[in-house]
Amino acid sequence: MSKPAQTLPELSFEKEKAIAKSFAQRFQWEMILIGLGQATIWLSLWPLVLNNYLPLWAGFFIASLCACFAYLPSHEAQHGNYSRGNPKRKWLDSFVGHFTLITLLFPYQILRVTHMKHHAYTNDPDKDPDYYNAHSKSLFSVIKSVSDGSSTAYEKYLDVFKDDKAFVNTFIKAMPIALLYRSLLLILVVILPLETLLLWWLPAKIGTLYTTVFFSYFPHLGTSTGRYKDTRFWSHWMPRYINHSMQLHFIHHLHPNIGHYDEPKAVEALKPFLIAREVPGADQIPDRVSYNPLIKIN
Amino acid sequence: MFEAVIEKILDHIANWGKFWFGLIFLGSIFNAIFEKSSLFNDSFNISILSFVLGGLIGLIAKFRGAWL
Repeated sequence: MSKPAQTLPELSFEKEKAIAKSFAQRFQWEMILIGLGQATIWLSLWPLVLNNYLPLWAGFFIASLCACFAYLPSHEAQHGNYSRGNPKRKWLDSFVGHFTLITLLFPYQILRVTHMKHHAYTNDPDKDPDYYNAHSKSLFSVIKSVSDGSSTAYEKYLDVFKDDKAFVNTFIKAMPIALLYRSLLLILVVILPLETLLLWWLPAKIGTLYTTVFFSYFPHLGTSTGRYKDTRFWSHWMPRYINHSMQLHFIHHLHPNIGHYDEPKAVEALKPFLIAREVPGADQIPDRVSYNPLIKIN
Repeated sequence: MFEAVIEKILDHIANWGKFWFGLIFLGSIFNAIFEKSSLFNDSFNISILSFVLGGLIGLIAKFRGAWL
């Protein structure tokens, strides 16, 4: 009787890990540039708009683009992909993680600890902080929950993880930053109402919606629990360059230390493992992923 | 001590955050829009109306438990 493919020595977990590790070494300079760059551009919009060098509608458009680029650099920081275990570079994770999220009005540490829980309990309805984003009834439900703020109401997880002291302490310590953002928004809106609406609040909503739809909803849609089952390969009419290549989000869930821009090559190298372990949609992964927009038109 | 203060603020925001957001944020936005609109130029109480409207929307959201 033949052995199941995943138990063959050439497809062992050790081999999979070794291949993945070879793609998790490079310094993620592009992501640092994007994170610091978008936040700097966003900050510069304020003097440009207030001094009439740039019309407010153009500022709104640029701020919204910045907000769509804001989360991923922080996400790499959340996984320590800038420091790569070097304690002397830990500050880089923290600095990029905090700075890039100014555009989105989110405290880095709250996103970091809740994201770690998302990885640990992906698709668990009680413990996965992103469960209701990923398992919304429709795209419209996602838009509604992001618009009214319920998609990021992470405070309820303080109760769910009340026995995890590290989680609770980090969350509580990050609350002053959340309060600072809220207070700043409410002070600014009194002084500069339309600028605050169109340069910060609305772009942050658009960026959060973009992130939720492409990072949570599409990659986890219709998936179950389990290391190789909780995220899928998907594709649709949109080229992957427009949605931060979230068609490949499954490889991030399997090996979070692979840098974002190294994921296409890692997927190519790991494809036999992914098919053998029956990752949802793995049989549809093309042999060449690098420079492939992964468009699918039915 | 620090945790107790944060907890109290969080409790207040959980209960009244929507109202304050409606009153201050939406009120300021409505006020700015009404001020720019020529329709309301002569209205004396336009600022009061804007903030009452924002506060009312916030209050409704508070009792509904959701904005939408």
